[in-house]
Amino acid sequence: MKAIKNNLVTYGIAFLLILALNFILPRMMPGNPLTAIYGGEAMIAMTPELKAHLIERFALDKPLWEQFGAYFLALLRGDLGFSYYYNAPALKVILGHLPWTLLLVGSSLVLSTVLGIVLGIESGWRRGTKTDRTMLAGLMSLNGFPDFFLGMVLVLIFGVMLRVFPLAGALTPYSGLSGLPLVLDVLKHMVLPVMALTLAHLAGGYLLTRNTMITVLKAPFMLTAKAKGLSEKVLKYRHAGRNSMLPVITMTGIWLGRVVTGALFVELVFAYPGVGQLTYQALLSRDYPVIQGIFLMVAISVLIANFLVDLLYPKIDPRVSHAH
Amino acid sequence: MHIDLKKEIKESNPGQIGVAILVLMIVLAMLAPVLGRYDPLQQSTTTLLSPSRGHWLGTNHVGQDIWSQLLYGARTSLAVGFSVGVLGLLLSILFGVSTALIGGVYDRVVMRIVDAFIIIPMVIVVILVAAYIKPSLLLLIILLSVLSWPSGARAIRAQTLSLKQSGHISASRAFGAGELYIAWRHILPDLVPILLVEFIYGVRRAVFMEAGLAFLGIGDPMVVSWGTMMHDALRFSYLDVWRWWLVPPGVALSLTIIGLTFISHAAEAVVDPRLRDEAVA
Repeated sequence: MKAIKNNLVTYGIAFLLILALNFILPRMMPGNPLTAIYGGEAMIAMTPELKAHLIERFALDKPLWEQFGAYFLALLRGDLGFSYYYNAPALKVILGHLPWTLLLVGSSLVLSTVLGIVLGIESGWRRGTKTDRTMLAGLMSLNGFPDFFLGMVLVLIFGVMLRVFPLAGALTPYSGLSGLPLVLDVLKHMVLPVMALTLAHLAGGYLLTRNTMITVLKAPFMLTAKAKGLSEKVLKYRHAGRNSMLPVITMTGIWLGRVVTGALFVELVFAYPGVGQLTYQALLSRDYPVIQGIFLMVAISVLIANFLVDLLYPKIDPRVSHAH
Repeated sequence: MHIDLKKEIKESNPGQIGVAILVLMIVLAMLAPVLGRYDPLQQSTTTLLSPSRGHWLGTNHVGQDIWSQLLYGARTSLAVGFSVGVLGLLLSILFGVSTALIGGVYDRVVMRIVDAFIIIPMVIVVILVAAYIKPSLLLLIILLSVLSWPSGARAIRAQTLSLKQSGHISASRAFGAGELYIAWRHILPDLVPILLVEFIYGVRRAVFMEAGLAFLGIGDPMVVSWGTMMHDALRFSYLDVWRWWLVPPGVALSLTIIGLTFISHAAEAVVDPRLRDEAVA
């Protein structure tokens, strides 16, 4: 419990750092802070009344600490600001894009974690053999490919050359599909981006499982298990495998926290309408409320994911709760 | 902890391949003005040319020679990678060693900040900053260094803490050596393997981030970068130009990161002997 309490303090510090960065950056900019907070787009539509209203809302005529208070209170109300580019509240814009990203990152996270663990167990079990060495070299090389380049290669092979999968987007526009055909359409559009993300992250789980596996296999309890005459499958998966999964769980937790930005580059390659694409658009159009909102969402999901891992970890590995 | 680092990397196959790839990239980067016959930023009216004797990889949408861009891109990539690697490592050493040696409140405060830094994803922080300030190459290097030191600091702190307990350091202290002397004379030399690992991690992360951010279109337009090349080429992927415009920088970038991964794998085995393959029965 003490560990969790300590971690909560860390999360608190991380969150404050993020808030501070979000708050200070636009106000540090030379020129009118309103432009820096709202972006150029807003200044075109600005009327004197609106301007007065906004200055009051952000307490821009007050000292910095009062401004921070106003900023913090607005956040507590779930008010991330207003995007003049989309003419909608930033929160609404972001939430509209979020499901697509969750779909992409969620499925690739499950796929790459499960595959990574299985490959890692098999490879670690055969440590030092030719199969192990080949797998290790292969997956380490795969680890070097940035996800966006993998995505482009997949588009070129399966989209441009073989024409099996669509090149871009999350569904066929104006197709008027519903029910099962719609689901199939979405799935078809998902295949390549999910494949790119899965391949790019496969090596992480694999390397971690394999490394732990090699250490675990030397543990005395493995000798005992072997002496009991257990079958290879039970030895490999129930005894060694289960213990080798632990670091991967931590890693997956960290990835889960990066769910919002996890597909940033890949979404761009596939013009997939998720938060990554939104971030890129917001960056191009200097839509500051949206960028700040995304940053805040990232921060919150990172903190929640870390907290979940902390809560879950002692349940998977009872040694942790006895350690303190 | 006295391990022959050079020997370990030499004896590991992936390590050798990694060093070979990296050396190749460094040579290409250094010889860029000789091997590429054009100024990589020189625009011309001959746009979107196919590869020919004059332009080995053709030209891009503003008539720049792609082969020259590829070579100069290696310079940018490696320069950012190594600068961030060095700067980040210096910060890691400074905080890692000092927290371990000083301890107390200082240690607790710094480590809290380290933990907080580690859980915030780097990409989004850089994007946020870049949204306000168009980062020059120098600013990018500083930004990436400031964001990338914490994980190294934690590893170095752990290693220093265990070194602090070892016999030769107690002996040195008993002979009246000061903290700074001990840190410089006894702790730093024994930290070399882990420093190498952290350095390679840092370089790899920075190479990847530089390319990724340039791919997003964040960055100095006057700097040639593999990421920028891929960003531009992607918009023309409906033409056949991707074969010589999009694929080469992608392959070059991937090769560089693969080389660094192989080296760090070999170096990891140095730091954690349990991972050594030959030690396995």
